[in-house]
Amino acid sequence: MAPDAVLSHLHRADGSATYTHNGYCIIGAVNGPIEVLRRDERPEEATIEVNVRPAVGVGSPKERHIETLLHNTLRSIISTPSIPRTLVQITLQVHSLPDEDSSTGVSPSLTLLPHLLHTALLALLSASIPLSTTLTAVLIALPSTNTPTACTQLLSPTAIELLRAKPIRSAHVFAFSGEGKMLLNESDGTFSYEEWDEAAEAAEEVCCKEDGAVVLAENMEVDGREGENLDGWLRSVVRTKVEHEQRWKSAR
Amino acid sequence: MAVDTMVVLPGDTVPQEALPTPMGKKKHLTLGPGLRHMPPSTVSSTIAGGLVTDPKKVAAWIESNSGRYLPATGDLVIATVQTSTAEAFNCTLTPHTPYAALPHLAFEGASKKTRPQLAPNSLVYARVASATKDFAPELTCVDPSTGKSEGLGPLKSGMVFKISLGMARRLLAGKKGGVVLLEALGEKMGFEIAVGRNGVVVVDGGNVKSTLAIGKAVQEVDEQALGEKAQKKLADRVLKSV
Repeated sequence: MAPDAVLSHLHRADGSATYTHNGYCIIGAVNGPIEVLRRDERPEEATIEVNVRPAVGVGSPKERHIETLLHNTLRSIISTPSIPRTLVQITLQVHSLPDEDSSTGVSPSLTLLPHLLHTALLALLSASIPLSTTLTAVLIALPSTNTPTACTQLLSPTAIELLRAKPIRSAHVFAFSGEGKMLLNESDGTFSYEEWDEAAEAAEEVCCKEDGAVVLAENMEVDGREGENLDGWLRSVVRTKVEHEQRWKSAR
Repeated sequence: MAVDTMVVLPGDTVPQEALPTPMGKKKHLTLGPGLRHMPPSTVSSTIAGGLVTDPKKVAAWIESNSGRYLPATGDLVIATVQTSTAEAFNCTLTPHTPYAALPHLAFEGASKKTRPQLAPNSLVYARVASATKDFAPELTCVDPSTGKSEGLGPLKSGMVFKISLGMARRLLAGKKGGVVLLEALGEKMGFEIAVGRNGVVVVDGGNVKSTLAIGKAVQEVDEQALGEKAQKKLADRVLKSV
């Protein structure tokens, strides 16, 4: 199932997005380019600030860790040299988590990470911050092989699927740029190199568009084929945004 | 509803055949907001939106109606005066951005002895004289070639209304923007309106009731993306109410 996204719905922020997928709901807001504190100012590039707010309570070291991961990943897609000495402020509020999230046996920061990355990207797109490329991310879980029901890989599993496939041996989060370059990999658990390689390949298939189908993909979304591929999903979200903005052209 | 424009994502390469080819006198392709040229001949987008091309001007840009206003040279903006220094007013175009400088001498008929006095928070209709990523933007209220104000200067009365950046562009684009509301209202009542590219309009209808009615109507056209027929209907409703 493709994620649900609503763009530009907060009117006080420069860009915003609410993202819902598999019971995870995150509200993202982006402000920028705005004035930066003197001590954070970088002479030739933009400063990026990421704030992650958990669903319950105030931020803890876990959120700080996720912020660092997001910061490093987003820095490589925001075209920082084109807006030097400014600040891009990204705030991500986790709105709700599935009830089973804490009992899946997978680190909660891993299950949340792809959703946070997508929300941040959508909010950045909504704020029209210059980006050098887009980003898509996916979670892959490998259950223990000795359980009878285990399939080899769980691609972007829901919390219930994870609970059923317990025990999970390893979990991986991959993020790819629009050109298909790997931007982020976070892995947890025990796994062999072959397993990791297989997971990475499967993730690439979900995240990136098919080779040489760039022009073709443009026409494909019209037929409602979105959702199979995260790149295609992103395009359909942007198409909806453009249609919404240009509806005055066809209005009576 | 089908959109015939090409939708691009950041990082997408715009194919050569989608861009206008320079012909005749115009020898260069002009790239507007959202497009980036990577030598030797790759054109890629940096924001998400619809690709718009103008074959007559040999120009291409990405149309997107969201985000913060980024000043560009030649834009008409409504600036808010914050402080005054020895030589210039410090103005804001959007909140939380560095001040734009409006020199005291950049007004019509201003000299070292007759400087305009502007209190903090007063509004000025100005043109962006220069805006690059490496310097704070500079504003001016005179045309440098004629020394005349051409309608620019302090806005003495009226009320501020916020609109989207796309709506501001439409209002300034004239016929192409498809806004017939103001013409329809102007046939029956007199009012003044100043549109700034930074998403601000100042309306002065002579009295509070008509000012509010006109401002709200402009915002309604923006939010509900009203077509020409609906705008005329709205204009009739406004005229009846005032």
